[in-house]
Amino acid sequence: MSGPNPSNCSAGGVQLLPVAAAAKAREPINVLIVGVGGQGVIMVSKALASLAQSKGFEVKQSEVHGMAKRGGTVFSHVRFGPQVWSPTIPKGEADILVALEWAEGLRWLPFLKPDSGIFICDTKRIVPPFACLDRHPGALLRYSRETPAEVKAHVVEGYAIDATRIAEELGNVRAANVVLIGALSMSLDFSAEDWEQALSEFVPKKTIAVNLEAFRLGRRWVERARTAPPDAQPAETPAPAYRPYKVRLEITPEWCKSCDICVKLCPERCLRLNAERTVELTDAAKCTGCRLCEWLCPDFAIRVHLDAAEAPGVVAAAEGIRP
Amino acid sequence: MIVDSASAFDVRTYLRQEMMPHFLCPGCGHGIALRALLWAVYELGLDKDKLAVVSGIGCAGRLSAYIDANTFHVTHGRPLAYATGLALARPDLHVVVITGDGDCLAIGGNHLIHACRRNLKLTCLMLNNEVYGMTGGQVSPTTSETRLTTTTPLGNSEPNFDACTLAAAAGASFVGREVTHHVPKLKQLIRAGLEHPGFAFIEVLSDCTEIFGRKNELGSSAEMVLRQKSELRPSAYRDTVDSPFRSSDLPTGILTKTERPEYGAAYRTAAAAQRARLAASTDQNKGRT
Repeated sequence: MSGPNPSNCSAGGVQLLPVAAAAKAREPINVLIVGVGGQGVIMVSKALASLAQSKGFEVKQSEVHGMAKRGGTVFSHVRFGPQVWSPTIPKGEADILVALEWAEGLRWLPFLKPDSGIFICDTKRIVPPFACLDRHPGALLRYSRETPAEVKAHVVEGYAIDATRIAEELGNVRAANVVLIGALSMSLDFSAEDWEQALSEFVPKKTIAVNLEAFRLGRRWVERARTAPPDAQPAETPAPAYRPYKVRLEITPEWCKSCDICVKLCPERCLRLNAERTVELTDAAKCTGCRLCEWLCPDFAIRVHLDAAEAPGVVAAAEGIRP
Repeated sequence: MIVDSASAFDVRTYLRQEMMPHFLCPGCGHGIALRALLWAVYELGLDKDKLAVVSGIGCAGRLSAYIDANTFHVTHGRPLAYATGLALARPDLHVVVITGDGDCLAIGGNHLIHACRRNLKLTCLMLNNEVYGMTGGQVSPTTSETRLTTTTPLGNSEPNFDACTLAAAAGASFVGREVTHHVPKLKQLIRAGLEHPGFAFIEVLSDCTEIFGRKNELGSSAEMVLRQKSELRPSAYRDTVDSPFRSSDLPTGILTKTERPEYGAAYRTAAAAQRARLAASTDQNKGRT
């Protein structure tokens, strides 16, 4: 294993690379694992905890997944070492932060040790509903706009991995957390075989093969990031491009039978029946192009076009919500 | 430009525009179902010349007239019979049957069960609006109990058919159900049905606003569309919502999907084998004489 910190030293019979100093000082090693409900945060922490326990460490793990359900924030503290007292990691004390979602990673950054913390993050963006206040297509989201490069400049050691895409290419998007386990394993000196054995116990039997492959890909990714020259580094994930659209409604008044479905079901309430009892758009700026009117019109009288916007109005409106 | 299929699909290119506007009443759900069918056809990239739509009599049966493809408007209850002949003779065509609840389950009930049994590659789209709309609102086999129609002025006292259970029991290898409110889901279901290598039966719960809705005081067209969510409670959210909210009165989506030998291919194989046997026996007879 080749790491940026070659000062290997022994702790409880297990070689620990970057966190070696902490272990030597009989302090626990703190790994904070965060993400969004449904991604497998708890599974990652359980695999790590059981592996550490099997190596004779004292392990404490505490998690919050309460009402997170699917889409809410989930975090899990894993502390292991010769002796562990508190089950939670104080701010600024985490040796490694593993984030399964980009914004969650940024949210928990203050927990990382400022001088030696390792940041391992999936660049997957799961945009929460409250970040989508502007429903216009292509509108800016109230979602972190930091690029991986900007974030990595703030941490001692950072890996922004597109683990979700790696797992997708493997054929099972749910293996993304195991890609990150692979990346994490490069910073803890448990042997790859031990990791693979621990993983095999925690994933469903049918998915062992794909998960082990994901684990190896995660390891290889970090290895490449550490050893490759700057021009051969794994590609950064570009943030999704901001592409505003202008919505245009094409209404065929001769086909409209004034059934009122579009008017009543429009979420933006921007349609009405005019004096001739045919549908018309009252407020073009309100229309988000959701297509509900087009789809639910039994008479095919409405067609929604999303044109590339030249209108600065749309852009300005979207810029206005920048946090 | 956004290039997803919803943006690229223009339903008008699949319609006989000179026939429009269509004859359906304001708010009739059949138009929405027709859009979903044409959208699925668009997504699969089916050639209009290779699409054959057969329909029977009734409001739903009338829909074939508006589709710019090979269309047949046939006798009451018999679209499946005609479609069987067509699909057997022209295996290169995608045959779609559009039929109503009365057309499919009452007048053509016998054809339905035998089409299900044979498993010929066909897509049967049954638009269920619980009533004979075109003839003035008589009770149909799917009219819910206690509902008012012109022939059940005191409320329907007969139990109604569950068309999907019937089709599955008769052996249909693909059975699905969806409401017209969920257009993209309905499109996905019809698409899966069109791709299925066998008999696909799809029940679409549609709204008859002018006759059934008015008689039963179900409110405006928009209220009837929303009723599909509140009253029928389709299981569209079954997979996305956790248990206390998972209860569903109406199973929707793909209900049955099984692998069975397709009748057309089996028939052609048997016919070819028979022809080969006949040819062989004629050769033998020639040898004797």
